[in-house]
Amino acid sequence: MHAVTLETPRPRESSRPTFAAVAEACLDDVFGYLLYLTKNRTLAEDLTGETFETALRRWRRFDPRRGTPQAWLLAIARSTALDWFRADARRRRREERAGATDPREVHEPAFGEGFSPALEEGLRELTAGEREVVALRVVLDLDGDETARLLGITPTAVSTRLHRALAKLEERMREHDVVA
Amino acid sequence: MMSSPDLTDLLRASRPSAPADLRARVREIAAAETARTPWPRLRLPGRRIALVALPAAAALALSSAGVLGLARSDRSTEAVREQAATDQAAPEATPGKEFGGVAGGADVAPTPGRAQRVTATLTLEVADSDAVSRAAQQALVVTRSLGGHVLSASVSTGEEGSATLTVRVPVGKVQDAIVRFSALGKITSQQITIDDLQESLDALERRASSVRAQIALIAARLETEPLDPETRARLETRLRTLRSELRELRRGIAATNAEARFATIQLMVLTPGALGVVPVPSRLDRTLDEALNALVWEGVIALAIAIVAAPFALVALAVWFGRSLYRRREEERLLAT
Repeated sequence: MHAVTLETPRPRESSRPTFAAVAEACLDDVFGYLLYLTKNRTLAEDLTGETFETALRRWRRFDPRRGTPQAWLLAIARSTALDWFRADARRRRREERAGATDPREVHEPAFGEGFSPALEEGLRELTAGEREVVALRVVLDLDGDETARLLGITPTAVSTRLHRALAKLEERMREHDVVA
Repeated sequence: MMSSPDLTDLLRASRPSAPADLRARVREIAAAETARTPWPRLRLPGRRIALVALPAAAALALSSAGVLGLARSDRSTEAVREQAATDQAAPEATPGKEFGGVAGGADVAPTPGRAQRVTATLTLEVADSDAVSRAAQQALVVTRSLGGHVLSASVSTGEEGSATLTVRVPVGKVQDAIVRFSALGKITSQQITIDDLQESLDALERRASSVRAQIALIAARLETEPLDPETRARLETRLRTLRSELRELRRGIAATNAEARFATIQLMVLTPGALGVVPVPSRLDRTLDEALNALVWEGVIALAIAIVAAPFALVALAVWFGRSLYRRREEERLLAT
């Protein structure tokens, strides 16, 4: 498992890292976040690539005094994913009107190795918003304020959403244990 | 059964890792960083622009107001000098033109041998309240010495003294009177008006001659001709009317002659404060005043621009706000699936 993490203190302009170093350090974070958000491994890979392409184009605009590279990349990843969701929603509406079925609806293991079927199923049943907050707060270990800034909501809303998501996940896991 | 700490541990332990091909792709993307142009793009964030632009605009407004103030205070200086020159020239030129006694300008003086109504108004400036009293007394002495008399006199002393005298002097001595009054202070204004009375006097005298002739004729008829009582009564009534009219005509002629014999002069003696004279401001004061005026105008123009631009800005703000709200709702909807 890849374990590179970035220092959270905000670097100064003089210690601005190179894009390659930032990409190397944050790749797993961005990919993990997008995987949780989209629950689709292939899509997460595509969106990760797209995120880093966008990030490279905007790299000169990145100001280390205003936030960490990790948060900056995650914001781009979120925006990229939302754009894809919008496009996908439009595509689905068109397909619904045309009576076509969505081949993506076929369930296949999305989160990959390391995820038990119960955890995978539990995560699948969460909403994208809930998975997103789980990814940021639990998996990537961002603090409440940083997560709130990234999602554009209050820290209290982040806590509420996280609590609700974990409760739902626990419930699913418990049900799975009982059935098993 | 699984608790939250276990669950979070499990989630952290199963943290996703990017596959090797994605890692290679991202490295490829990152490698393009060095291939890019080394020229940094000009980046002007809004806050930095505002931080520079606002003080710059304020400095520009202040400096332009200062420059305008300086330039206009120069013009103001010239205007003040011209005004001062005019003011100094006026007391010398005006009495000479109006009254021949000083500079030989007899063209507007009363015409000897014609009945004319002459009125003059003269305003004099003296140093202080005491000078007002002295000038008023001198004016009365001058009036009497010229054979004239005072119609009215009002003298008030205090911080801003003033005196108003209305005198009548013989027309033949009006120029002398004006010249002597002018010597009592600095002339600030004067006006002389001459109305010709000769024509009306001639008309009155012609009518009087006619009436006298008619009276003589009627009197002769009444004395010499045998008349019936009715005619006699009518002529006697006519005679009385004519004699009454003749008396009125004689009074009119006498009044006109009297008016033509004396000129009326209204003399006002004032201190500078009573005249409302404002001292000439200094160059610095004028510069500051002009700079302030320029600033006020700049403010007015800025306000006008703001008023014109405000509706557009409000519409843009509303569009931006609506778009943000819509996107927020859309995000919530998308993330709720």
